[in-house]
Formats: sequence, structure tokens, C-alpha cells
Amino acid sequence: MEWLFLVVSFVAVLAAGMMLTRQNAVHSALFLIVNFGCVAFLYLMLDAPFLAMVQVTVYTGAIMVLFLFVIMLLGAEATTDTSGRMRWLGFAGTAVAIILLLIFAFPLASDMLTDEIVEPPETSARLRVINAIPGGDSESVTIMDMGRSITLEGIVTGSVLFDGTDDALDDLRIDDVVYDYGRDATQHYTVLPAGEYNVIAGVELAGFATSPLLIEAVTLTADSAHSVVFYENVEGIVDVVLMEDDVSAPAVGKMRLTVFNAVTDKQVSLIDIGQYTTRGSLCEDDSCSSLIPHRVLIEELPAGQQTSLELEEGSYNLAFVDQDQAVLRTLADYGAERGIIETRVFVREPGVPGSEPSYRAAVFNAIAIPAFGSPEAVGQVLFIEYVLPVMLVGMLLLVALIGVIVLARPDALAQAERRRINRRRRVNRPLVSVISQQTGSDVLSGDYMAKLTGGSDDSADD
Amino acid sequence: MNPIGTEPYIVLSMVLFLMGALGVLMRRNAILLFMSVELMLNSANLALVAFAREWGQVNGHVFVFFVMTVAAAEVAIGLALIVNIFRERQSINIDELRQMQG
Repeated sequence: MEWLFLVVSFVAVLAAGMMLTRQNAVHSALFLIVNFGCVAFLYLMLDAPFLAMVQVTVYTGAIMVLFLFVIMLLGAEATTDTSGRMRWLGFAGTAVAIILLLIFAFPLASDMLTDEIVEPPETSARLRVINAIPGGDSESVTIMDMGRSITLEGIVTGSVLFDGTDDALDDLRIDDVVYDYGRDATQHYTVLPAGEYNVIAGVELAGFATSPLLIEAVTLTADSAHSVVFYENVEGIVDVVLMEDDVSAPAVGKMRLTVFNAVTDKQVSLIDIGQYTTRGSLCEDDSCSSLIPHRVLIEELPAGQQTSLELEEGSYNLAFVDQDQAVLRTLADYGAERGIIETRVFVREPGVPGSEPSYRAAVFNAIAIPAFGSPEAVGQVLFIEYVLPVMLVGMLLLVALIGVIVLARPDALAQAERRRINRRRRVNRPLVSVISQQTGSDVLSGDYMAKLTGGSDDSADD
Repeated sequence: MNPIGTEPYIVLSMVLFLMGALGVLMRRNAILLFMSVELMLNSANLALVAFAREWGQVNGHVFVFFVMTVAAAEVAIGLALIVNIFRERQSINIDELRQMQG
């Protein structure tokens, strides 16, 4: 990697030097294209693929073609750099450049940059709540933050994470009921400042909040995403778990499927059964000596845990089976779309006690965080945070376009010349009448007038 | 994955910027002057992208995007001016364009 950088930067500097020293302007332009290409390569090495492509199309493409076009249009290949008067500027420029280089290089050489490096500013972390308690229509879950432990004389400040609105960090009191998450409810991630949190989660039953079920000190790092999943364990007691979601962009052409097992007495496997239609069991016969052909995607996921896998784009017949090869739930014609991140929480359906339990795989979608420097990432910042500058730049381009059209009118110069001459004529005409008034003779008629106007035409030239 | 730190990119951007500045000072051809300015803009862009990676924020990329846009507009206007000047004076040597000199 280092040798690559050295080679590319060497070529870039070499091309820049050649551009400066060539006498032929076309050669200079071609060397500048080489330099721009090297810079585009460096953008790629700096995790900026989008800018690299823009660099190639805009700079080495459009701008340099414009330069070459103008050079060849004017026939200005051979430059006239031989004005001896300004030769000293070259030496002065070199001297200034070397001095500036020394000044700039000084902090780098003395490790000033590396010593005073500060941590990057913390950006946003995301948190969401998934309520997978079966039959819990009357139950709602609450989640709050006991404060980021800002210890000023032992006082812990608190703020509520979820208040049901988008401004999650309102100044609510810590014992406020924060939000009712009904059954299977989820909400999109709430964006929080990154940092240390003490997440407290509890269940509210008919208006009475139970004691907190989960108190967990967690560091929400920037660009991470967490889910708080509420589910019922095998004794019918609500349990809660905080898990980190992988929201990085899936591999190209794939989707990421995360499965959380909220059925506490089962170890769930996710299998791909291909063309087989589903039946109650994976067994080919009653004795279960052989299984139908299948591909195991997730093997025996214990309760309260999650795992994720990446699926190729396409259509699948998926089935959730327990450890006894009994099919609990099938997902026929499951369409895997590229770029999607999906969370499936496997839950037991609330049913009549004593009847055969049924199961469901509730869907919770997540949005992928685009990779750094990708067109998505740049576009999101460009068109959300910087909409106004984008519009201003658009206006600037429009003004530049109009300006170029005005400048490039073929008769612009001729018109300017004509206007100049007309202005002088208008100034000259009153002069004749002034002379006629002063001399008292009728200069505006006869030969005198012809002489005067001829004379004024001559005088207009100086 | 990328073992090269930010400093080498900054040094390279510095060198390229100074070469561009040198070109502006030394060359008398207006088109070459413009190309040197482009070189300087590009080196500034390189520094912006390097710092964007250092801080892990895309804002630097957005600024590079704006710089590119402005550079494109500037080149279009500038070259139109050069073409007009060449039509009038038959020369684009900036030492000969002295009528605005006091």
C-alpha cells in the first residue's frame, strides 16, 4: 500500500513539474490530465470512490477538454514566455515556494499534528425498542436513561430516551411514563448523541410500572445501532435484552437477515427448504430416519439471542424448525432484496391456553448506514444538510452559463466598438452649434459646415 | 486496511499547491496560469478529502464537491474571457495586457 502511494504521488508531482516547464501548452494540458488522474487514484485510496469518479468526469474530462479546445482554437500552443522584464518573478516565486514549504512542513516535522490530535466529534448513535411480548396488548414497555453520569457533586442528571416523539431528549422528568409500546410495536431508531448511557427498561402493567428489568451501562458509539427487545421467557416472565444491530451496508447484491429468538423453550433453526412445500416436520417418514433435503442457514439459536446472515438476492422458501425437526413456521416465497436489512423476531402467537401454539416471525426493518464516501453517504449529506449551498451553487452555475453566453457572442466586440464611436459623435455635434453661437456666423449651412464636420471626424481619431 | 496516515497526503497536497503557485508566478501564458490555478484547487481538494477520512465525516467530501463546481464555472468564464482577449489583442501573454495598469 505504501509503495502504491509513493509511486502515485511521485507521478503526480512529476506531471505537475512537467506541466509547469513545457513550452507547448498542449503538452502542459496533457500532463495536467495525468496529474488529475493521479489525484483521482489518491481519492480512491482515501475511501472516496464517489469523488474519484467525479474527479475523472469533471476535471480530467470536462474541464481539461475545455482547456485543450481553447488552446487549439486560439492556436496558442507555442507560448510566449520570453518577456525578459519579468524574469525575476520566477526566481522570487521559487524562493517564496521554498520558504512556504519550510513553514508548512515545520509542524509536520515536529509532530505538532500528531501530538495535538483530538478525538473526532461524537456523532449519532441509534436505539430502538422491539416489543415481542406475546399477547401483551395491555402491557406496554418503557425505557429510559438514568443519565449520562455527569457527576457534579454526586448529582446524576437524567433524561428520557423515548417520549414518543422525535425530539427524544426533551426535559421530561425521570419518572415520567415515556412511551407505550404496544404489542409488536417498534419504532424507527431514535437518534441520540453518542456516549455512555445507563439504559433502564421496564414493563408497565395496567398503569403500574414494574421494577426495572434491565439496567445496563452501555456505550453507544457513533453510527452504531442498538435494539432493546422485550420478550417472554418460558415461565411467562417478561425478559429484556439489549443487543447491537449490524446496520452496515450488506455486501453487494445481498440482504442481511437478523433473527432473534424470543421463544424461550425452543432452539430455533432457520433452514432453506428449496422447492419442498412445507409440512409439519422435516422428516421424510414417520420414523424420522431421513430428512428432506435442506440447507441450514441458522443452526439452533437459543432463546434471547440473535444472529445474522447475508442472503443472495432471490426468492426462498424458508422454514423455522425446532430442535426436534418440527416445522414451526414457514416463510414461502420469501423475497430477498438487495441492500435490505431485516430483523425477524421469532415469537409465539398468543393463543387459547392449552391449544397448539403457533408461531410468527415478526418483521422489523432497519435502514442501512451507507459506507463512508459512497455516493449514498455524500448524497445524504449533500441534499439534507447542505440543500441551501447546493441551490446557491446551482444559481452560480446558471449565472456562469449566462455570462459565458454573453461573453462569447461573436459580435460582442464589434458592438462595443460601434457604441464607442456613436458616443463620440453625439459629443461632437453640440460642439458645432457652440462654435456657431460663439462666432455668430451660420456655420451649420454651406461649405463651412462641410469643413467643420470633416474636421471633427479627423479629431475623433486622437 | 489503509495504513497510510493523513500526513503524507497533506505533504503531497502542500507540494502540489506550491507548484501551482509557482506556475501562477512564473508562467506568462494566461491559459497556463489558469491550469496552475486548477492545480492549486486540486491540491486543496486532496487535503480536504484526507482530513475527511481522518475525522470520519463526509462533510469534507461535500466541500470538495462544491469546489469542483465552482472551479468548473470559473474555468468556463475565464476561458471565455481569454478567447475574447485573444480576439482583440492577438495575444494571451499577460504581460502585454497592461491597459488597466495605473
